Formats: sequence, structure tokens, C-alpha cells
Amino acid sequence: MTEQVRKPRARRTFSAFGEIRKMPSEYEIVTHGQNWTTRQNRTSAFEQNPSSAPNMWFKTYRDNSALQAHDWEQFRDPDQYTYRTYVNAQAESELKVHGVLEEYSAAGSAAALAPGWVETLATLYTPSRYPVHGFQQIEAYIGHMAPTSYVTNAAGLATADFLRRVTTIAYRTRELQLAQPSSDIGTDHERRVWETHPGWQPARKAVESVLATYDWGEAFTALNLVLLPTLDDVLSRQFGEIARDNGDELTWLLHGFLDADNQRRNRWSIALAEFAITQQPTSASAIDKWVARWSPIADAAAQGLATILAETPEIPRNADAVTAGAKAAREGLLRGILAPAEAVAKVSAP
Amino acid sequence: MTLLKREEWQGFVRDVDWTPTYVDYEAIYPEWHCGTGKVPREAWQGWEESYKVSYPEYVATQREKESSTYAVKAALQRSNTFQDLDEGWKSATKMHFGGVALVEYAAVIGELKMARFGLNGSWRNMATFGQLDEMRHAQITTFFGHEFVGQDAQYDWTQKTFHTNDWVPIALRNLFDGMMVAPNVVDLAIELPFTFETGFTNLQFIALSADALESGDVNFANMISSIQTDEARHSQQGGPTMEILVEHDPVRAQWVIDKSFWGSARAFAALTGPAMDYYTPLEHRKQSYREFMEEWIIDQYIHTIEDYGLKKPWYWDEFITGLDTWHHGLHMGLWYWRPTVWWRPKAGVSKDERAWLASKYPNWENVYGDKWDVMIDQVNANNVAATLPETLPWLCSTCHLPCCNATPSRNGEWKVRTWQLDYDGKKYHFCTNACRQIFWKDRDNVNHETLIDRFLAGQIQPMDVGGILNYMGMTPDAMGDDPDYGAWTRDYIGRAVEGIAAATVQGATQ
Ligand SMILES: [Fe+2]
Ligand SMILES: [Fe+2]
Ligand SMILES: [Zn+2]
Repeated sequence: MTEQVRKPRARRTFSAFGEIRKMPSEYEIVTHGQNWTTRQNRTSAFEQNPSSAPNMWFKTYRDNSALQAHDWEQFRDPDQYTYRTYVNAQAESELKVHGVLEEYSAAGSAAALAPGWVETLATLYTPSRYPVHGFQQIEAYIGHMAPTSYVTNAAGLATADFLRRVTTIAYRTRELQLAQPSSDIGTDHERRVWETHPGWQPARKAVESVLATYDWGEAFTALNLVLLPTLDDVLSRQFGEIARDNGDELTWLLHGFLDADNQRRNRWSIALAEFAITQQPTSASAIDKWVARWSPIADAAAQGLATILAETPEIPRNADAVTAGAKAAREGLLRGILAPAEAVAKVSAP
Repeated sequence: MTLLKREEWQGFVRDVDWTPTYVDYEAIYPEWHCGTGKVPREAWQGWEESYKVSYPEYVATQREKESSTYAVKAALQRSNTFQDLDEGWKSATKMHFGGVALVEYAAVIGELKMARFGLNGSWRNMATFGQLDEMRHAQITTFFGHEFVGQDAQYDWTQKTFHTNDWVPIALRNLFDGMMVAPNVVDLAIELPFTFETGFTNLQFIALSADALESGDVNFANMISSIQTDEARHSQQGGPTMEILVEHDPVRAQWVIDKSFWGSARAFAALTGPAMDYYTPLEHRKQSYREFMEEWIIDQYIHTIEDYGLKKPWYWDEFITGLDTWHHGLHMGLWYWRPTVWWRPKAGVSKDERAWLASKYPNWENVYGDKWDVMIDQVNANNVAATLPETLPWLCSTCHLPCCNATPSRNGEWKVRTWQLDYDGKKYHFCTNACRQIFWKDRDNVNHETLIDRFLAGQIQPMDVGGILNYMGMTPDAMGDDPDYGAWTRDYIGRAVEGIAAATVQGATQ
């Protein structure tokens, strides 16, 4: 130890980035290789008996998932969100949400809603805190199991986005309960509707089934690529539009603000699918298979909700049109990653 | 018009559980992940956090914290304080960055597990904030450590440590995988938020932020005190879980808490112990590690578990005795095997420092003095090479730390001994009796090769120090060495070993 060690060239960044010319961004510095259970040359995810139950779970449902890439650490969230970016953006956006909540509350708008629309809110909107919480749980699982911290962080932030959405729904539930005392909003009504209303049952079936899907690649595909793009279109875009048609501008505005979270999730989810397919062509067939399995389930969920939107509002929307819109939204999002010809072309032209 | 108060509507955010019917409850909440055990499922309906928080409050508060923490960092970056910091203090920070950054991330993975499998909606919501908090801690710690990579390659281990098979991260992965990620969520909520966060992270964070300020490292103090302010929020997942578990299955509650306290105590003896009693410059030391443990951990801990109707752990006497030995033995191990660590461990045994150690630990000279004297004499004989390791120590099959605990023999002599166990045709070694007991009780999970097992099985090639360092991912630019041999040996130049050692003891007891 006494002899002088030759002084190597000073580092500019973590050795984990290898020999690079470009300095990694702050996003990359704080996101890269954070999850040690995904490190190279490990015998098992956890530093314990390789055949312990936790190790077998991660081996089966993460490492052996059909969704594969040869180096997950190369994945990047197109939005490059860090924790700091996230709380800054969301605090800003919540200020806007509070602004419109105050503005419409001052105008007494909740009390002035038409009866058919109040019923729609009570049937479709206030009970939706249950499925959104289900999304929150599934997204947490995706983050828990993801094969790189780049995906865990994106999914962790998306998990928090669902809590944000439940919070907004909860706030409005109370507001509507106060403004519409003769409705049963804010009672055990919401849970009953979610558990028994025929319009909700296909959606509940979908959420419960994805909750019980443990292969991380399939859970990710089922939720982020199939169920959410379909139901976001019904519960966010179309519901917002119908709200505006029915004189509920506040709902329309709020959905506009919160939809930014959905769009951000869509961007990284599609980027992730493209990344896996480009790195490992067999991932394409896995995604195809899962999309084919979950699409009818998502369509049925949309169809069920569409029946509510066709029945209760003063100014309703045709159920088939709602369902078709949702399906088209999903297909539009997945277009780039599903068409086999395009997928093959991508792989052969790296 | 103002907004509705949180109390008016938060009940709806918390009330999000329903009864699944399309899929079995057990398929969504598998016992293996949820771990309800003897607790009836309905009992979890009573789970309630004491300190409520809402999403808009969360993002607003956290944005403020982030901007002030990074503003302090930016302001300090322009001054050149780093160069003026003491080597011992720098080593404490390297240990912290490398030993903690990715542990914060393991907590992200653990919180996400509770956000999915927690047995009550409000618990899962709390864990959703928890994973955000831990993401913050991982990112801020990583980013602050990264700043120094250009000035000192050892800071590369901020990110690298847990990707290697160095013995320190093997021991820590073993501990934290076992208490933060792998357990069912009921055990997890007791091991991570209850035992570790409310107990031990206080020690690391309070002790280190005080030491940081003493050492003039405002940036570091700023970072860790800001991190600590998040703990109160997510660590409260432990209390309500504990209450429910204790009510229905106190035996399990006692075991889970005892096991995680022990594992945490072993790890802290290895990391916080040496930093407090050896690396921190003498003039900046306020309390010894033992005093700190007594004040901040032990009283509070016993108080807390008794509040829940639990007893002191079965190993209590062994633990208390260990406060005088564990971290001294581990410090010596870290110093001796210094090429395997990513910091520069100071020996910290100059005359003054020894006098301080002997005043805090009356047996110190008796147990450790002669061993350091051997090192001192080699250094003073210009033979540093003789103080470098050629072999590996036995590693404990439970905590994966070196078996280096001295215990008194009947004749009053202190000896390092290991506890052994013959199981399944193999001999296992343990650092302590409790480590052996924990292994036996938890053997399906923890039965796992130590670094020594791997070495003896020929997995590490070549079978010499070079091969071992390579296996550990250690490179010459990050390899630890004593920062200043003269600092702790020049007091003793030309003296007879026995005399000085004895004199120090005398001086301390007068
Ligand atoms: Fe933390
Ligand atoms: Fe924490
Ligand atoms: Zn041990």
C-alpha cells in the first residue's frame, strides 16, 4: 500500500456509465442502476437462499417474463422525470386544480347541475375512486417488479398520479354531497355501484383480473398498454366532453389537467414497448399475445361504462360510439408497436 | 370561497377497499405477500395512520424542500469547502453515500410492495407516499455523492457499492433484502418503518448531521436533515400494523421485531460505530457510539416495545455486552482489510484517542490495545506491508460480517470466538449466539453462501488477495488505505509496547 499508485485520469461521472463522451444528464445520474436486485452477475435477485420463495417469485415473474431486453439499463423515459421534476410539475398543476375548484365553488356550480347529470356523476364519476385505486395498486406492482430502476421510477410516479386522481374524485365527492343532499353521493352508494351496477361489472372484472396477473410484462401490457388507454378515453376524454355538453365545465377542466398524467404514462409505456421490441424481437410476440388477450376484456369494460353514458345524462352519447372511440384510442396508441411488418422493420434496422 | 378542508373529504381517499368476486380474494392478496397469518382479515379494516397527509399537501411541501436543499448545494458548490474537510470525515461520508444511496432505493421497492399488497387502502396510500419519499432519498443521496466523483474516485462507490460482491454490500444486501423487500408486507411494515426507520435511521441521521456540522460540511448536514424530515410521514406505517399484529399474534410480533432489531444493530455497529468512535476527529466527538446508542436507541426502543406489550428481546444481555466490543472489532476488521473498502479508514489510535477510548470503554486497552500495538510497531519499523491482509476472516452465516467479537474467558482473558452449527452436513460459523439462533429459526431463507463459502468452493479465482479484490469489484483508484499512518503511530516511536499500553490504561483510570 505504501508504493505510489499511478494516478488515473479523473472521473467525470459514475463508472456505471462506462466509457462515454457525453456527460449523463441529472436524470440519468439519479436513475441509473439504482435497483441492486437487477445487478449483473447475480445468482438471484435477493442476497439470500437462491431457492427462497422471494427469489423464486422474482425469477419466475420478472427475470423469466416473456418481455425481455438485453440491457434494460439503456431504457429512458422520454420525459426524463426525476423526483424533483415530478413534485415541481405536480405542485404547479395542483395549484391550477385548486384555482378552478375555488372558482366554480364560488359560482355555486355544483348545486346548479341538472338531475340527469348529477345521477351520471353519482353512477360513473364518484364510484370511480375504486377502479382508480385498483390501477394504483397494479402500477405499484409494475414498479416493484420492473427489471430496471428507469421503469420502476416511471411506474412509481404513475402510482402517485393515481393517488392524485383518487384525491380529486374524493374532493368532488364531498363537494357534490354537500351541494346535492338529496343524491346518495358520498354514502356507501359508491361502493355498491362499483360492486353491483351492471355498467361497472366488466370494468371490475378487468381490474380484478389484472390485479391477479403477476408476470410483470403481462401486468404492464394489460394495464398500461391495453386497459388504461381504453378506459382513459372513456373516463377522461369522452366523460369530460359529455360533462361539458351537460353544463359541467368544472369536470371537463379537471379532466383536462389530470389527463396530462395519462399522456405522460402513455409516452413512457409506448417507449418501453418499442425499446423491448427493438432490443429483443421476441418481446413483440409476447406483447401481441397479451394485447390480444386483454383487448376484449378492456372493450367489454368500455362497453359497460358506455351504457351508463348513453342512459343517464341529459345529453347522452351513443353507447356504440363511446366504445368505438375507446377502442380507436387504444389502437391508435398501439399502432406503432403492434403491426408485425413495422416491428420487424424496426428490429432489422437498428 | 375557500377550498374544503382535508378532514372533510379524506375519508373517501382512504376508503377504497372492496370485495373482489371475479377473482378470489386470495389471488389478489396472496398470503405469501400479505402475511395476514393469524390476524383475521377484517381486523385490517381498523388500520389507521395517525398523521394524515393529502396529495396536494405532499407535492407542495416536497417542492419547497427540494428547492431549498438544492439551493444550499448550489450556493456551497461555489465555495471550496470540500478540500478543507478532514480525511476521517470524508471517509464517513463515503461510507454513507456508498452504504446508503441504494438502500434508500431498496426502500422504494419495499414501499411499492406495501402500496400493492398492504391490507388496507389507507396503508397502501401511505406506502404510495413512502415510495416517493424513498425515491427522493435515493436520488438526492446519489446526486450529492456524484458531485465529488471528479475529485476522489472513491465517491464512484456511491452508485457502485451494491453492484459489487464486496463483503460490506453482501452483508448489507443480505440484511436489507431480508427486511425491506422480500418479507410479506406485515413483517415488512414492522421491520422497515417500525424498527429500522423509527429506531435506527434516527441514529445515522441525527448523529451524522451533528458530526457534519462539527466538521464544517454544511452541504452534507443539509442533505441528511432534509431527508430525515420525510421519515415521520412514511415511518408511521409501522405503528398501526404493529398494534393489529400484537393484538392477534404477539409471538410473531416479538420475533419479527427482535430479528430486525438484531440485524440492524449488527449493521450499525459496522458502519456508524467506526465513524463515530474512530473517524470523527477527536475534538468533534460529543458522545461515544455506546453513549449514543444508549441515549437514542435503547431507552426509546425498550419504551416503545413495552408500550405495545412486548418484552425485551431474548438476546438483550448479549446485545448490551456487544456495545463494548462489536464496533471495535469491526473497526479493526475494516482497517485491517482496508484494501476492500471504498473509503480511507483511519486507525484512530493515537495516544489521545486511546485515552478517550479507554475512558469510554474501560476494557478497550485490555481487549484491543495489544493488537493495535502490533500494527503500530510494524508501521514504526517501516513495515506497513506486514499490516496488510493475506487471508480472509470467518464470516457469519447470518449477518455476513466478520466473526470478530471478543468475549471474556473464565480466566479473564478476552478472546475472539465463533459460534458454530452443524446442519445438513455442513459446519456454519456465526459471530454471535443470537446470529446462530436467528439462522436456525429462519434457515429456509437465510441459508446462503458467505464470501468465505464462495472462496472455499473455488468460485473466486485466483485464490489470493488479488483474486478476492477482483471478485469484490475493487479497483486501485478506489481501494482503501490509511490516510495518515504517522497520525497514530508517531506518538509511539521508540517505545516499549507493554509500557505504553499500560501507561495509557493507567492514565485513563486515574
Ligand atoms: Fe429513506
Ligand atoms: Fe424512510
Ligand atoms: Zn452475525
